[in-house]
Amino acid sequence: MIGRAFLATFRAILADRSAFMLIVVSTILYSFFYPSAYSGEVAVRIPVAVVDLDNSGASRSLIRRISALQQAELAARLPSPQDAEHWLQTTGAGAVIVIPQGFERNILTGAQGTVALYGNGAYLLRSSTALSGAGLAITVIAAEAAIDQAMMQGAPVGPALSLVPRPLFNTREGYGSTVFPGVGFLIIHQTLLMGLTMLAATLRETLGRFRLPSRTLVGIALAFFVIGWADVAYYAGFVFWFQDYPRGGASPGALIVGGSLFVAATVAAALALASFFRTRERPLQLWMGTSLVIFFLAGLSWPAEATPAWLAILARLLPTTAGIHLMVGLNQMGASLGEQIREVLNLTFLILGYGALAWWRFTRGPVPLLETDSSATVPPSPNPAADQRSK
Amino acid sequence: MIRAFVDSALRETAFLRGSVWDLALVTWLPLLLLAIVAVQLSAGVMRDLPIVVVDEDGGGVARDLIRKLEASPGLKVAARPADMAQAEHLVRANAAYAVVLIPRDLERTVLRGETGKILLFYNASYSTPSGSVLREVGAVVQAQAKALAGEQSAAIAGPARVRPPPVSVQSRILYNPQASYELQLVALIHPALLHLLFMIAVVSALGRELRDGTIGAWLAGSRGEAVAAIAGKIAPYILIFLLWGALATGYLAAFRGWPVQGSVAMLMGGYLALYLAYAGMALFIVGATLSMGQALSMTALYAGASFAFAGAIFPIESASAFARLWSVLLPYTHFARLVVEQWMIGTPVAASARPILIMLVFLVVGMVAGLPRYLSARFSPDAWGRR
Repeated sequence: MIGRAFLATFRAILADRSAFMLIVVSTILYSFFYPSAYSGEVAVRIPVAVVDLDNSGASRSLIRRISALQQAELAARLPSPQDAEHWLQTTGAGAVIVIPQGFERNILTGAQGTVALYGNGAYLLRSSTALSGAGLAITVIAAEAAIDQAMMQGAPVGPALSLVPRPLFNTREGYGSTVFPGVGFLIIHQTLLMGLTMLAATLRETLGRFRLPSRTLVGIALAFFVIGWADVAYYAGFVFWFQDYPRGGASPGALIVGGSLFVAATVAAALALASFFRTRERPLQLWMGTSLVIFFLAGLSWPAEATPAWLAILARLLPTTAGIHLMVGLNQMGASLGEQIREVLNLTFLILGYGALAWWRFTRGPVPLLETDSSATVPPSPNPAADQRSK
Repeated sequence: MIRAFVDSALRETAFLRGSVWDLALVTWLPLLLLAIVAVQLSAGVMRDLPIVVVDEDGGGVARDLIRKLEASPGLKVAARPADMAQAEHLVRANAAYAVVLIPRDLERTVLRGETGKILLFYNASYSTPSGSVLREVGAVVQAQAKALAGEQSAAIAGPARVRPPPVSVQSRILYNPQASYELQLVALIHPALLHLLFMIAVVSALGRELRDGTIGAWLAGSRGEAVAAIAGKIAPYILIFLLWGALATGYLAAFRGWPVQGSVAMLMGGYLALYLAYAGMALFIVGATLSMGQALSMTALYAGASFAFAGAIFPIESASAFARLWSVLLPYTHFARLVVEQWMIGTPVAASARPILIMLVFLVVGMVAGLPRYLSARFSPDAWGRR
């Protein structure tokens, strides 16, 4: 009976065009669609405008070196700070460098010449890294540019301490490789959840509150588990490789266990949620708007440490929160299951909790489903003629 | 005409009052989603981010540095593992975002008057907190270097050679002086949620009449009356979501203290243009599919990914040609530009008229390409009931 429900679930998905689009086609479509948004990768060359108020040998030498920088692109040379502000307002994520009057004189007298670097805080997330990179680079070249002039004072000593930053794991530090490994699992979660819920709601709409034998429920759950696993294998195995995102390469065993936990928790949550819907289109209407919020709650882009504690705990009721941490941990950081034990336990509890809720909801309906008729053990495709009723 | 508009608007509000879940889509669901985002990002800046320190040197300079790291409000020294292997284990277990490695001989290097190097290994898989850690640790190290220059270098090289480096760069961030993510993210995520929910609601409202086969009776009048009735059906949604837009703006601007630098009227005008644009695209998609379910799936694709493609958070200029084209074809992209200009920068009002005009083009597209097909569907019962 488990096997019959398992196969009937696949038949039902193939027969329902909208469900097929959602569960199969959109998963593939999104795997190319979303990465294209992040294909810009690192914003290495931030456009920079320079205002030279000193107009001296030292300032011209500095500008020459800025134009050769890898981190910045000399986009404009402007006569006044006012022009520069106008330029910054219309350019978007850029930066302005102002070399003040007296720059050269300060260096020659052994005092400090200051250069002001203005970033655009309206594009904070985009420009903060590029800005600090440009700031460091300018400090270095400014020192080189000034060193000749300063020589007559005797070379100054270097700083006592300096910081050498080194990225771990996601060494390319691109936008795509940072965001998409999380977004990918969110896509799997949302398509499975909405597809399954839509099929269940369609069945509920035609049959009323139905009852499933436990083994039929297991068969349906297994079918969606297989689909979810195909998604995980496709994303972690093909898409991340195709986009050349860093893969830490945890052991295959750990990946199989982690992927299974994430998919099982998602299917259990989807089944539990599905038991509450009565109209076919309702899950799409109500759940589609949640993706962005769920992504931020997962804690990949905004850390749980900066989230109010009670909200961070509630967020752990979503399979994506532990799932994304776990899959990024295994896949990109090369962590072991032991190191990610918190996420493993979190997902296990979700599987048990949502599984119990789904079982309790689906095995107690007043309308029994005929166990011999395999086509009725899973949602039938919607019949247009039967739906010509007014609401 | 006016009669048809008003009747249709009343009919829609009566329907909403009678349908708990359709009402939820425009009432408590937007409130819940807006509130979660507002609460989650209310800290604005990240504090007490966990790091671990591996101290191979053990000298006074190292101890002093660790004390300063602990005192920094942005950081929390979560552990002091003995070696790098243990430290990396803690990062893999998500117990810390970064490892500060103080190498052996730091003290001796500094005492010789040379530059001691401190290494920072940060978890680049979690880029936002790691970026914050990088800035905080950098500031601590720089401050200590400055203090050391006075004490140690003077003793070794003689006070004459203790001079600041010849050039210093002072970075300042304009238009968001506190460098808060709350203003930047919430001001953009809220409209990203609102325009998606609005489009779902309008697509549902238009698609429902097809699904239930009620479009024929509802648009029974003349062509002009039918157009007025469609406008009347969409009008309540525009009104409701304008209120949500005003609430979201008021929350950030008045309650959280991120005043609008430009014109509030332009911002609200932007919201109106945004909703008109997505109403146009809803008409276009429902007209093209004539199916509520498929129109909803297309809505997910079109309006669900706006935040990624808008270019306000990720640089879309350097992305592929497809991504840049798609970005331009989303009204939200232009609205995001308006938010940046009018809320954060305070650009002259006239300069922000352009994004509003561009958004209205989408309404025209819907009127020209979607409306006729939707209108003619009222005479063809074959097209009804598709799901």
